[in-house]
Amino acid sequence: MTATIDTSFNQSQGHTSGGTLEARQVSAWFGSNKVLEQVSLTMPANTVTALIGPSGCGKSTFLRILNRMHELIGSAQLNGEVLLDGQDIYASGHRITETRKRIGMVFQKPNPFPAMSIADNVTAGLKLTGTKVSRSEREALIERSLSRAGLWKEVKDRLREPGAALSGGQQQRLCIARSLAVEPEVLLMDEPCSALDPTSTRRVEETIHEIREQVTIVIVTHNMQQAARVSQQCAFFLAELGTPGGIVESGATEQIFNDPRDPRTADYVNGRFG
Amino acid sequence: MTVLLDSDESTSPVVEQPRTLGPASPTSDKVFHGVTLAIGITVLVIMGAIGVFLGLQSIPTFQRYGWGFFTESQWQPEKDILGISAVLLGTFTIALVALAIAFPLALSTAIFISEFAPTRIRSFLVSMVDLMAAVPSIIWGLWGFFLIQPKAIHIAHWLHTHLGFIPIFQVDTDPDAAIWAQSRYAASAFVAGIAVAMMVLPMAAAVMRQIFSQAPAGEREAALALGSTRWGMVRTVVLPFGRGGIIGGTMLSLGRALGETIAVVLIISPAFDIKFRPLEVGSESVSALIAGRFGEATSNQLKALLTAGFVLFVITLIINTLAAMIVSRSRSGALTD
Ligand SMILES: Nc1ncnc2c1ncn2[C@@H]1O[C@H](COP(=O)(O)OP(=O)(O)OP(=O)(O)O)[C@@H](O)[C@H]1O
Ligand SMILES: [Mg+2]
Repeated sequence: MTATIDTSFNQSQGHTSGGTLEARQVSAWFGSNKVLEQVSLTMPANTVTALIGPSGCGKSTFLRILNRMHELIGSAQLNGEVLLDGQDIYASGHRITETRKRIGMVFQKPNPFPAMSIADNVTAGLKLTGTKVSRSEREALIERSLSRAGLWKEVKDRLREPGAALSGGQQQRLCIARSLAVEPEVLLMDEPCSALDPTSTRRVEETIHEIREQVTIVIVTHNMQQAARVSQQCAFFLAELGTPGGIVESGATEQIFNDPRDPRTADYVNGRFG
Repeated sequence: MTVLLDSDESTSPVVEQPRTLGPASPTSDKVFHGVTLAIGITVLVIMGAIGVFLGLQSIPTFQRYGWGFFTESQWQPEKDILGISAVLLGTFTIALVALAIAFPLALSTAIFISEFAPTRIRSFLVSMVDLMAAVPSIIWGLWGFFLIQPKAIHIAHWLHTHLGFIPIFQVDTDPDAAIWAQSRYAASAFVAGIAVAMMVLPMAAAVMRQIFSQAPAGEREAALALGSTRWGMVRTVVLPFGRGGIIGGTMLSLGRALGETIAVVLIISPAFDIKFRPLEVGSESVSALIAGRFGEATSNQLKALLTAGFVLFVITLIINTLAAMIVSRSRSGALTD
């Protein structure tokens, strides 16, 4: 199985394409409470995958399993495999820091490092992973990352100001730039626009369009229009009362929205759901 | 309280008056507020009374000895020579030794407990550190005297031998003598500082740990999600966030270390030299001086001792106020408020 996928395996530095992420029979628990059951989903390279579903059905939990953030919570446990380009990121030989560097994450609440300057925020990931770059490379990287996140024009004259001095929408794009600066193969986004105004939301969506050639994107969103606008593939999560969450249906976004197979999906995407 | 705009309403509708609002808080809140305020004021009054009492007692001494009280190093009541410069220097020497030992220990203890210890043993470690604070100071004094001093002498000798070219590690004896003079390294500010360090460590560690545990989860996760190690996350998120707490906790322990008495009385052998040689035998601190001379003092000497106490009180007050200001101005302090 690895042989077929390994052709796209690409670990060299400035890679130009994203990686394929595949979850296999992933289950998750918080203590004795099972919140995900046997979830399998392939997130192909250079595709935007949207995860939708009602609150509490385990979307964030699933997303955090994809870059090993789940295990930061004391009581959290999981089962199953997550393959990045065919290799299990939970295999014992895999360094957790390397995995998280390759699979970046943007959180619901903007979380720039408030005391660091905007420029330092962008390059924080390099410093944290011990990646050395020359001065000129660093400046180029700052400009490139901020441009990719659609923030360069707004902040190019105030790169030395602290990250906390930006508006919420700008902070979120700064966080995207910070994630992009370490050149991840996959970018996970958990409701990245939920705290943003429509204009900032549009900017983030444009950003997603621009970077998807280079990065595989998985995005959780409660906004059906947004899911329809940005994603090519869509997975509908649902946790029925008292049962763990799981994927009801997944497939091309067009099909999920216009021709869903499961009536529950139809109800949800058309807003007829509790 | 009903808003009555009477007949004016028709003639001058422009006249607008702010509406009277009902009481903002219920009676129970008011009672609680009143009680806490009273307690707070009582504490302040007691503090102020101590200050005023000491200040009044100090006036005759200042009149009699003037500035000489601060510049004179000797304390010889029989010759009517009284001054606190050597004692103040000794006080700070002991406190600085204590901080130099306690600071790295407290910082690493706090970091380990809040960031690295497994959840299962975390509360155990916290109560162990708190237990250290519950040990009476006389016990720390005895511990320092009987258990630590015999070993500290060798450390002091080693420091003198290898780093003696640095002035602060100097001792007035030949370190390379075949039979080196152990007594020259005993009863020093260094040994007393070790005992005092154990006394201030729990408080410093507790302040730091509490601040560290308040570092925002979002920023921690951001660092980890970028591929940081745990230590990298601590350095970029937790330590910058906790800087105010680190400084404040250290200064609070400095305040405590300056006043520590009984352990110093037990360990130190009194000496009134103007020198900064922590490793060398003999030193003295203000509180140890008061404790040692209090019993045999005449009324004038007693006033002089109280004056020394007053000076220590003022210094400690300033340090603690600065510490509180630093903590509350830092980002972490703003959250705890
Ligand atoms: N730290 C935690 N400890 C215990 N249970 C948790 C924790 N985080 C989430 N859960 C539980 O796991 C389940 C799934 O939560 P999750 O956050 O993944 O939902 P979600 O789909 O992201 O919801 P939302 O759309 O509201 O963000 C919920 O039932 C929740 O109560
Ligand atoms: Mg969520």
